[in-house]
Amino acid sequence: MQPIVECKNLTHYYGNRCIYENLNFEIPQGRILGLLGKNGTGKTTTINILNGYLKPRSGECLMFGESSAKLSPATKQKVGLLIEGHVQYSFMNISEIEKFYSAFYPKWKKEAYYELMKLLKIDPKQQISRMSCGQKSQVALGLILAQDPELLILDDFSMGLDPGYRMLFVDYLSEYAKAENKTVFVTSHIIQDMERLIDDCLIMDYGKIVTQKPIEELLNTFKRFKFKSQSSGLLNDLQEIYHPVSIKENTEAYSFMTKNEMEVLLNKNNIQHGRITEESLSLEEAFIGLTGKY
Amino acid sequence: MTNALLFKEWKKTKWFVIGAFIVGAALLTYIFLRLGRSFRMVGMEHLWDVVINRDQFLLRELKYFPLAAGIAIAFSQFVPEVIQKRIKLSLHLPLSNKRVVFTMMGYGLSVLSLVYLLHILAILIFMGVHFPLEFIISALYTLAPWYVAGLMAYVLLAWICLEPSWKRRIFNALIMFGVLQLCFLSDFPGAYAFILFAVILLPIYILPFGYRSVERFKIGIQD
Repeated sequence: MQPIVECKNLTHYYGNRCIYENLNFEIPQGRILGLLGKNGTGKTTTINILNGYLKPRSGECLMFGESSAKLSPATKQKVGLLIEGHVQYSFMNISEIEKFYSAFYPKWKKEAYYELMKLLKIDPKQQISRMSCGQKSQVALGLILAQDPELLILDDFSMGLDPGYRMLFVDYLSEYAKAENKTVFVTSHIIQDMERLIDDCLIMDYGKIVTQKPIEELLNTFKRFKFKSQSSGLLNDLQEIYHPVSIKENTEAYSFMTKNEMEVLLNKNNIQHGRITEESLSLEEAFIGLTGKY
Repeated sequence: MTNALLFKEWKKTKWFVIGAFIVGAALLTYIFLRLGRSFRMVGMEHLWDVVINRDQFLLRELKYFPLAAGIAIAFSQFVPEVIQKRIKLSLHLPLSNKRVVFTMMGYGLSVLSLVYLLHILAILIFMGVHFPLEFIISALYTLAPWYVAGLMAYVLLAWICLEPSWKRRIFNALIMFGVLQLCFLSDFPGAYAFILFAVILLPIYILPFGYRSVERFKIGIQD
C-alpha cells in the first residue's frame, strides 16, 4: 500500500548552511509520526517543503502520490494544516470562520468544531484576534477536526500553550486520530507532549537525522548507563555511545546497546569502570541522550 | 467556494471600502458646493471662460483621491494576508493558487471600480446639469488617468505585499512610484486624450505581477 507521505532524498541549505542532506522518510496510513528536534534543526523547513511552500535544493516529497510542490485542489482537500503559532484568519469571529471553511470541505463536521468551542465558554461572535493563544489553538484544532482530513500536518502545535491547553490539544488529537485511523505528521519542541501522541519518531539534530524508529522500539532499546570511571574521556571516541557526561568520576552515557554489550565495549577499550547500572528512559530523556544537552 | 473567498475579502476590507466611499462623497460634496458658490458669485460665463480660455480644471481637488482609495484597499486586503504568513492558509484552500490570487485581486479591483463608478456618475450628473458635452468629455479625459492610477496603485501595492523578499519589495516600490508618475504627468485639460487607451490598459498589463510574487513565495524565496 502506498504511503500517505513519502520524502525522498531531501536536501536543503539556507545559503551555505546545511539543514539536512538525503532525508528520507515515509508515513503509512494511520500512523502518527513526530518530527523532533531542537530549535533551528529544520522541523519547519520540512513542513514547508511538505506543504509546497519551499522548494528543496534536491529531492522530492509526495503526498497521496502527488508532488508536494504542485498539489491539486482535491489533494489539498485531504490535508489539514496547522501553521506554527496557530495562525488563522483572526479578523473573523468563531462562527464566521466555521462558515468560511465549511464551503471548501464536503465532509465538513460542524459539530466537531462546536463541541470544542463549547469547552472554551466564549461567545460565537468573539473575534479570534481578541483570544488568548490557548483559545486560538483550540479554534485551529476545531477547524481541522471539522475538516475531517485524511492527513493532518501540525507544525509546533505546543508553541505558546500552557500545560492545560497542551494536554487538551494532545488528548483531543490523539483520540481523534486513533478512532478515525488518521495519518498525522507533527512537530514540536516540547517532547513530553509527543510521548502520549506519536507512534513513530524522527529525531533531527543540526544537519542530520539522528534516529528514525517506532517510539516503542526506541524506548525499549535506547538506555542510559551510569557507572564510575576515571577514564571517561575515552568514551567520546566510541561511536556506539551518545553524549557521555562525567561529573568528577560519575559517568552517564546513552546507547542502543544492552548492559552486557556495554560492559564488553568498555573492557575492550580499556576503560576502567565500576558497576554499570542501566536505566529506561522517557522520550524526553531519550531525545536529550540522542541530541545532547547543548 | 468563490463566495466564501469573497466573504473573507469583504471582512478584511469593509471599513476601508465604506471609508473610501464616504471620503469620496464628502470630497464631491465640497467640490460641488464650492462650484455652486462660484456660479452664484462670478457667474457661469466667467467660469466657462476660465475653463475654455485659461485651461483651468475645476475638479483638481479629486486628483489624489482615487490613488489614496486604491492604496487603502490594497493595504487592508493584503497586509493581513502577509502578517504571520497567513497567505499559507489561503494557498492551502482546495483551489488552484491562481484562482485564489486572482479572486482576491478581482474582488479588490471590483470594489474599487464600484467606488470610482459611483464617484464618476455623481460628477457626470452634476456636470451634465451645468456644462456642455464637450466640456464633460474633456473633463473625463483629465480625470481618467487619476482613476487608472488608483487601480494601478492597488495592483502594485498588492504585488509589493505579496512579494516575500524585502529587497525585492523595495525594488517593487520604486517601480510603483515610477509607473504611477505616468498618470500624473499633466493636469492640463485633455492632456491624455491621445494616449488614454494605452493608459487605461496599464492595470491589465501589471495584473499578473502579484501572482508572480506568490510563485516566488511558494518556492521559499526570502531574505
